[in-house]
Amino acid sequence: MEEKDFKCLRCGAVNKYPYEKGKMIERQCPKCGSNSIRLIKEKSPDKDKK
Amino acid sequence: MMDVGRHPNINLMTYSQVESISGYVGNFHVKVQKKARYVNADECTACGDCAEVCPVIVPDEYQQGLSCRKAVYIPFPQAVPSASLIDMENCLGTNPIACGKCAEKCDKKCIDYDMKDEVIKFDVGTVIVATGMDVYNPTELDEYGYTKYENVITSMEYERLMSAGGPSDGHFIRPTDRKRPKTVGFIQCVGSRSEKCGNTYCSNICCMNTIKDTLLLKEHYPDIEAKVFYIDIRAFGKGFEDLFKRSKEAGVVYIRGIPGEIIEDPKTHNLNVMVEDTTANKIEEHEFDMMVLSVGVTPRFDMPEVQQLLTLSKTPDGFFMEAHPKLKPVDAPTTGVYFAGCAEAPKDIKDSVTQASAAAARAETLLSAGKVKLEAITSTLNQDLCRYCAMCSKVCPYNAFTVDPKNKTITYVEALCKGCGTCAAECRFGALSMKHFTDNQIIAQIDAHLAEDPQDKVIVFACNWCSYAGADTCGGARLQYPSNQRLIRTMCSGRVHEEFVLHAFRKGAPMVVVSGCHYVDCHYIDANRWTQKRVEKLWDKLEKWGIRPERLLLEWISAAEGQRFQKTMQDIEELRKQVTKEEIEYTIKVLTKEEEKKKQKLEKLKQKQ
Repeated sequence: MEEKDFKCLRCGAVNKYPYEKGKMIERQCPKCGSNSIRLIKEKSPDKDKK
Repeated sequence: MMDVGRHPNINLMTYSQVESISGYVGNFHVKVQKKARYVNADECTACGDCAEVCPVIVPDEYQQGLSCRKAVYIPFPQAVPSASLIDMENCLGTNPIACGKCAEKCDKKCIDYDMKDEVIKFDVGTVIVATGMDVYNPTELDEYGYTKYENVITSMEYERLMSAGGPSDGHFIRPTDRKRPKTVGFIQCVGSRSEKCGNTYCSNICCMNTIKDTLLLKEHYPDIEAKVFYIDIRAFGKGFEDLFKRSKEAGVVYIRGIPGEIIEDPKTHNLNVMVEDTTANKIEEHEFDMMVLSVGVTPRFDMPEVQQLLTLSKTPDGFFMEAHPKLKPVDAPTTGVYFAGCAEAPKDIKDSVTQASAAAARAETLLSAGKVKLEAITSTLNQDLCRYCAMCSKVCPYNAFTVDPKNKTITYVEALCKGCGTCAAECRFGALSMKHFTDNQIIAQIDAHLAEDPQDKVIVFACNWCSYAGADTCGGARLQYPSNQRLIRTMCSGRVHEEFVLHAFRKGAPMVVVSGCHYVDCHYIDANRWTQKRVEKLWDKLEKWGIRPERLLLEWISAAEGQRFQKTMQDIEELRKQVTKEEIEYTIKVLTKEEEKKKQKLEKLKQKQ
């Protein structure tokens, strides 16, 4: 499974987690144990131009 | 099995497959495909004359492929009904008839090549799932040479070789030279308790099965030398430790260590292993005539189909999940469905019989009562508000809704509802609500909690089964956590509507927490996955509106995790202190504006309709 960068909203730690579109996975921050793990979305080049 | 076949109240349907199950407790509609046997089972006397003349020879599945069967055959000696069947995949053909020898030979004229599959429909009140298990296939473990060396066999093949009804008539022989081996080694935990290959869980039965196998070996052939390689022997049941002692007293040697590799001597076909004996703390070399791989248990290959038929859920190891591991160990989350045997988890015969008896008793209790007590907390549907978007049918873990958007119809079976409230949280048109957990009731709780000094409070939505119970565990253990956390109980985190979170922010809450069960513990199959989806969407929305998504947290806390609850609440209190007065004011302003926009949109929609 592909791995992507996620940010923990509780402690701010950035880690790689398995990711598959549409598939729900329980993720836990190894640093603080939180489940508030948010995918860091890459900005598309078009948006950057704007 | 014979008793079951003869019982007047049991309709045994062999060689059949369940195609569909619909309905609910007390009213399950079952559709079964009865496959054509091509032999009249009522007339067949299982004389075996047909098999004698059949020219087709294929590996016998029952004998683990160690011997052969014919295309017309009896699956195993004790099969019920005791009648032959034709394996059409391997038969030379019936259209046109290519061989026909079985039909010619059968005096009773039982062979019927024109037999067709039948679809049988019937209704039942309860369902017991006893679909069993498969054994681990060790072909992926190159180091044990199962595919390379004939004298490496699995514990299932060993069973057949030792059986009086087996391919060698109960004579224990090694495959390469058909001679009785002098030394036999057993390797435990093949495909079990491994992070690299096979499964991570303990298969429960392999230790005792090997102990039984070694005793059997020693009883039949006292001169055969037997050694068992193990990680640890798990002989925890009644009388199991005695059996283990008996095995050791019979001369079986137990070595604590798992061999890394099996290497065959090409001349003698003997098998050499090197192992670190962790009890003696030394490296040892052993030579065996035969090796037996004690293979673990795996979920059955067709479990996904059964899961879909009955809307069941699975644990991470792939077996079916019970409604509650301690209080409802034989009940499925779907009311009226029960488990027996290895469908639920690997277990031995005694445990399977115990569970099967319990499942039968549970089913009988329900049937004999004649009435079913349903959940008091269920969803209520206001058909006038429904726009047939079918979101409820998508999110309901129990398939309580059937929506036809084309014909604008919705069917809601309240008996199927378990009360998670995910439908009510996802319905955009307010057509669904939850008894005892209505939107107004929850909003009123938020208002009450934030009526005074909202900037000092944290709103925590906690699910009834895990997070709320986790808070209870925390309190029961006298663990201190900040007193400004305000818990709002919902049956499932799936009930937490987006509007509840936004309302709390509008009322001045600096932080909002949505908490529920860990994925494996969800009491509503997979309802908490929708919670996560909703929270993820909310993070995006908050960010879009210029509100820090860090102010909304999602936490999975189980009933046993009192300490985790304490730590989470302490961390959140630290985060709350960082939320400024200006931030809260900005949030209130933005969200009030967004609420106005939403209202205007809805008004326009109503006017259009």
